Amino acid sequence: MESSYVTLLSLIVFLPSAAALILTFFPRDNTEAMKAFSLAATAVVFLLTVIMALPGEGSWNFDISLAEMQKIFSISWIPAFNIRYYMGVDGISFPLVLITTFICMLSMAASWSINKHVKAYCILFLILETGILGVFLSLDFFLFYVFWEVMLLPMYFLIGVWGGPRREYAAIKFFLYTLLGGVFMLIAILMLYFASDLKQLSDGQLIAAHAVSSHLDAAEQAKEIAQLRSQADPVHTFNILALQQLGQHTAVFSDTILWGKSLQWWAFLLLLLGFVIKVPSVPLHTWLPDAHVEAPTPISMILAGVLLKLGGYGILRICYPICPQAAYDLAYFVCALGVVSMVYGGFAALAQKDFKRLVAYSSVSHMGYVVLGIAVWSLGMWSVDGKQFNADAWKMGVNGAMFQMVAHGISSPGMFFLVGVIYDRVHHRNLNQFGGLFAKMPVYSGIAIGIFFAGLGLPGLCGFIGEVLVTLSAWPYSRALAVVSASVVIITAAYILWTLQRVYLGPEYKGPHGDHLYPMTGRELAIAAPLLALAVILGVYPQAVFRYMTPSVDRTVDDLAAWTRAVEESPSRSVTQSEPPRHESSVATESLSQKD
Amino acid sequence: MDPDSTLPLLLGLAWLLPLASFTLILFFGPRMGKAGLGAGYLATGAILASCLLSLFALFFVWLPHHGVPEPIQHAAGAASHDAHAVGHDLGSLVKPITADWYTLGKFGALRLSIGYYIDSLTLLMFSMVTLIATCIHFYAIGYMHDELHEVVDHEVRLSNRDHLHRPGRFHRFFQYLSLFCFSMLGIVIAGNIAMMFVFWELVGICSYLLIGFYIERKSATNAANKAFIVNRIGDFGMIIGLMALLASLGTFDFGDIDYDGSGQPERGIFSQVRSPENHYALQVPAGMVKNTAPGGNPYWLLVIAGVGIFCGCVGKSAQFPLHVWLPDAMEGPTPVSALVHSATMVAAGVYLVGRFFPVFAPEVLLVIAIIGCITLFIAATIAITATDIKRVLAYSTVSQLGYMMLALGVGGWSAGMFHLITHAFFKSLLFMCSGSVIHACHTNDMTKMGGLRHKMPWTAYTMLVGCLAIMGAGVPFSIWLAFSGHYSKDAILAQALSFTQSNPMYPILSLLFYVAAMGAAITAFYMFRLWFMTFAGPPRDHHIYEHAHESPKIMYYPLVVLAALAIGSGWSIFGFGVQPLLEQARPAGIQLETHGVLLPELIHPDEHDSHLDQFHVPATLVATGTALAGFLLAVIFYGLRILDPNEVRHQFRPIYEFLIHKWYFDELYDVLFVQPVLFVSRRVAEFDKKAIDGFIDNLALWARMVSSLDDLIDRYIVDGFVNVAAARIFAIGEWLHGAETGKLRQYVMFIVIGTVALFILITFYLNSTLAGP
Amino acid sequence: MDLLSEPISVSHYMVVGAVMFVTGAVCMATKRNALGVLMGIELVLNGANVNFVALGSQYLRPGVSGIGLDGQLVALFVIVLAAAEAAVALAITLNFYNNHSTVDVDQADELKG
Repeated sequence: MESSYVTLLSLIVFLPSAAALILTFFPRDNTEAMKAFSLAATAVVFLLTVIMALPGEGSWNFDISLAEMQKIFSISWIPAFNIRYYMGVDGISFPLVLITTFICMLSMAASWSINKHVKAYCILFLILETGILGVFLSLDFFLFYVFWEVMLLPMYFLIGVWGGPRREYAAIKFFLYTLLGGVFMLIAILMLYFASDLKQLSDGQLIAAHAVSSHLDAAEQAKEIAQLRSQADPVHTFNILALQQLGQHTAVFSDTILWGKSLQWWAFLLLLLGFVIKVPSVPLHTWLPDAHVEAPTPISMILAGVLLKLGGYGILRICYPICPQAAYDLAYFVCALGVVSMVYGGFAALAQKDFKRLVAYSSVSHMGYVVLGIAVWSLGMWSVDGKQFNADAWKMGVNGAMFQMVAHGISSPGMFFLVGVIYDRVHHRNLNQFGGLFAKMPVYSGIAIGIFFAGLGLPGLCGFIGEVLVTLSAWPYSRALAVVSASVVIITAAYILWTLQRVYLGPEYKGPHGDHLYPMTGRELAIAAPLLALAVILGVYPQAVFRYMTPSVDRTVDDLAAWTRAVEESPSRSVTQSEPPRHESSVATESLSQKD
Repeated sequence: MDPDSTLPLLLGLAWLLPLASFTLILFFGPRMGKAGLGAGYLATGAILASCLLSLFALFFVWLPHHGVPEPIQHAAGAASHDAHAVGHDLGSLVKPITADWYTLGKFGALRLSIGYYIDSLTLLMFSMVTLIATCIHFYAIGYMHDELHEVVDHEVRLSNRDHLHRPGRFHRFFQYLSLFCFSMLGIVIAGNIAMMFVFWELVGICSYLLIGFYIERKSATNAANKAFIVNRIGDFGMIIGLMALLASLGTFDFGDIDYDGSGQPERGIFSQVRSPENHYALQVPAGMVKNTAPGGNPYWLLVIAGVGIFCGCVGKSAQFPLHVWLPDAMEGPTPVSALVHSATMVAAGVYLVGRFFPVFAPEVLLVIAIIGCITLFIAATIAITATDIKRVLAYSTVSQLGYMMLALGVGGWSAGMFHLITHAFFKSLLFMCSGSVIHACHTNDMTKMGGLRHKMPWTAYTMLVGCLAIMGAGVPFSIWLAFSGHYSKDAILAQALSFTQSNPMYPILSLLFYVAAMGAAITAFYMFRLWFMTFAGPPRDHHIYEHAHESPKIMYYPLVVLAALAIGSGWSIFGFGVQPLLEQARPAGIQLETHGVLLPELIHPDEHDSHLDQFHVPATLVATGTALAGFLLAVIFYGLRILDPNEVRHQFRPIYEFLIHKWYFDELYDVLFVQPVLFVSRRVAEFDKKAIDGFIDNLALWARMVSSLDDLIDRYIVDGFVNVAAARIFAIGEWLHGAETGKLRQYVMFIVIGTVALFILITFYLNSTLAGP
Repeated sequence: MDLLSEPISVSHYMVVGAVMFVTGAVCMATKRNALGVLMGIELVLNGANVNFVALGSQYLRPGVSGIGLDGQLVALFVIVLAAAEAAVALAITLNFYNNHSTVDVDQADELKG
């Protein structure tokens, strides 16, 4: 069983790298073959994830009824520090993995216009894909960090070598920002590692966190646990699931370390900084417009479609479950960060004259919804009988945020690709020098208007569901933030419609190279049409995503709600008081997970 | 046939047919028939089928089951008062049919779904929308025939001073129309407020696409943007309303839906606000009480929710202060104006207020009434001076929508809904007539028309019917001898009068009645001004007059159908009519007299009381009198031309200027909102570039300066030290080098002397070592 | 202490050794002929050998424990070494003579730094 999971997940993660290795043996001048081979590799990875997504009973099929991690395996890697090659997938990561492989495939297909150092390009591209998939799938914090950094370097070169005129500036800016975030993350990882102690967890929690192998029978597990408990020193761990259990059920991260703030408060802040740079949120967003403007089209697609999601994923997977107390205390701050990004990004987009910059700022605005949706720790909906927390609104927010990530993963690569299509023809992106494209490129314009409407949040297209769910869920948490976030619909409509008017409508094209405006080619259509089709499908049938996502998201929220309930109802209103492992709450979680 | 299962099926089918048509045209449009002519027939066929299905549902499913409704007793004051005494007979309410079709998402107990809520109002709206849409589809096949071949757009000049030539877009027009019909019917059938919002946005985008149909015209695309963005401002309020409702009530559903089949349906919004246990009286739901901070008044939440939802209606129904988009929306082709911007989409706001009526607190209703009143007055005054034939009608639409809002706001639920239906018929008729005129003259400017009734009699006389209907012509107190507008406007004025008299504490509220009455006069004036300027008198522009011709049959047959409806839709034949049907849909509890909470003296009287003679008689007389006065004024100025309008214009120059500039709303909004937003966005972008990026770049610069300083230290201090040491050692080596002569004997001497010296040293200084312990 | 009046002991041998050493050293330092220098070397080595043998002798130093052959062994080793050294040195000298037609060591200063 476990070996089958090892095969599956390792194949998904490392197949692109293996392809990159093979690519080094290709003859230097056969660029067509290299691109075709890379495309085939990305397509195979995509097919693997599609096989996972298909319903079925096989060990490779993703089981949508399970809220917990599945396809888990754990192999010792660096035993001295208890670092493991430890991966798994659940409803939070799986949709993102799927969208990653899909977008990677499409952007590889969009890479045919790359003619410089093709071999290096393909190799870096494939390594990048490995890095991204590894981040989504790894459950060991150290492994997570390794993949995080692996992803960084190819991106730097992809922007810095194949980019536009200011590519060096943009690449270095991207690199430094992300590296800074990575360093913060590393500090936090080490803080958490040295504070963690597996012995504090109950047996059930250890098994739930897969700190002992879940593939053994009960007796062997008991033996492993006994061995673990017999150790004199604290047993540190990088196991993300175990860290989550420690954060929610014990007080190991609650020691005060600096300026009266607890360890988890600082760890949360550091991790948040790392992830928020990636999202990106105002005021740490300025690398994004530059990186997008300079990056070649396929890299923009990956950057917007996938890389930004890592930030949201990190917040949801790591920041919140591991440091609940800090997250609870800082929830308003995080929400405000999201709302400010939404408004700020929208306003900034309105003022842009560069088409790609506008789309980049729209990404800032749209990703603000993600941060807001995850952060609305709204337990304000009290049920009828007294002080009983009801996390339904928060569930809606997190589901909305996750959906928004998927939706943005479809609409924004689409937008970037469409900008790229027009840039390939006329070699400029000045919004004031377009116009009348509808007459010259009707199919292209039709698809573009569809995808931009998806970004606008039009019902029936994918952007609507996420935005409306997040906005609605904000009200029980904070009415002021909710009102501000609702007002973003106006500004979004303004900048998108104004753009459409300036680019596609109007009597005639106003810029240079007007005679190059030939209609879309078959290849371009083959890339853009699936994106639009997905935008429509997800818009009218959001269950396609929710079916995979909701059980796991709900479980995460329920766990945190249970934690909040315990904190809110204890008279001291703090977990730091209860020093011994809290078996009663762990029992509550177990029964809760049984219910799921 | 069991209506509970049949009606959703029939209406659902009627709803989805236009969607099917849209999809087919989207993929195969250009290949349908000659230049897409088939697309027109497909869309028309789809909406015709929808229309037949809706009418079938109304006449053969609903009516047989629920019976021909009781006629309204116009003088049934006594009976009504008896009812007051014993409490209303609440059992006679017709239960709406409501359930879910499809769930978009479910989170805990919260859900987002597509469902239906069917009562006689839904059926009436379905029939009205599909009927008018069918007429307009036929009409549009004629009107849009230019689009079948290459079009020369005379309003667009290219940079080389030529007119624009472009291929026709016949199929695309019908594609958009189909999408619009689907979206509009979605609003009507919506079973919950979230679904309403979904289709609310969709009609918005259809309106955007249709207004901007001539995408090459800057004015058209500007108008389309304006329409959508202004609507979004209203939607912003609506989202707030949605949030307030969802957070406190935990549901979006209008009615009670039994999700788990337990026989215990989950409470919808209506029954939470007006629960059967409370005899359907307005109450603050328990959820809102829980959702309010201690010490706060939960009633405010109800008010916020109501005002929020109404904001959406303000946007969509072009009410003050968001009315500015509708006149500009006339840039779209005329069939669009007739369908979207007069009869259906803009009425959706009114429909939503009517649908959501049970939730509105009296204070919210007061806001609605005041907004409606302001709107009807402003729009009517602007319509007096407009010379663009479609703009006059657009302002007239805004004004009439104001009437509807006023009616609803003063508690006249059925009056408002009634006016919605009658207005839809006569206003779409008026628009289509104006379209026919534009089709003939190729201009919108009324100052270039005149005398056209000789050239196009069908258009002229159907339009006259429309004018009479909107003015509310008819014999007072008759059941037959009046146009439809007469009845609905009477009902509105009567309710307004009843409302103002119920609130003697607020004398200012009597303005609601007087303004409405004055509006009736202005309406009659500008409508007949329009008719006389267009069809009567001598032709003003002979070139245009010579070329004018009656439109083809496919265009004026629909006019006749609509003219008939404009006359007859207000009648109640053998008890069957719009108004009695509406009574079947009256939401539970709203016939009760309600009192405000924040304004305790505010009273909304029972609407049935407005049929009492004490309100009905004066209102009818006032309505007829004012309309007649307006008509006579128009006759004096434009029909008989006894007085010269130019003279009046000169005399009242400032007022004329004010009106011709539409009260300077566009200019005001530009200064108040558009420019500030653009300013802020530029500042934000600049902040990004200068402040944040500047900071980062400066940081990078500083880092580089520090590193170059570091470089200097390295080069001159650390390296310098190492280099000096190396140089010294080298010098010593050089110096010692001199001892190396190559003379073997000298070396031996050194060895010997060295050895001896070593011995001496050891002997004398380290003797203890040698001596041992 | 009068060496002349004492019975023959280690000291006497050491004096002989010292004389041989000094003679050899002076010979090395003063002779310009390479063969002379070689002879000086032999003298120095043999002076040392005298000391080894004397100090290692059971008879001359009766109180010293051990098998008593240490000095002799080392002396033998030195003789072997001297022979080898002489062979190498003579070869060098011969070579030098072949190249320079002289055995004057003062002429052989080509390896100086």
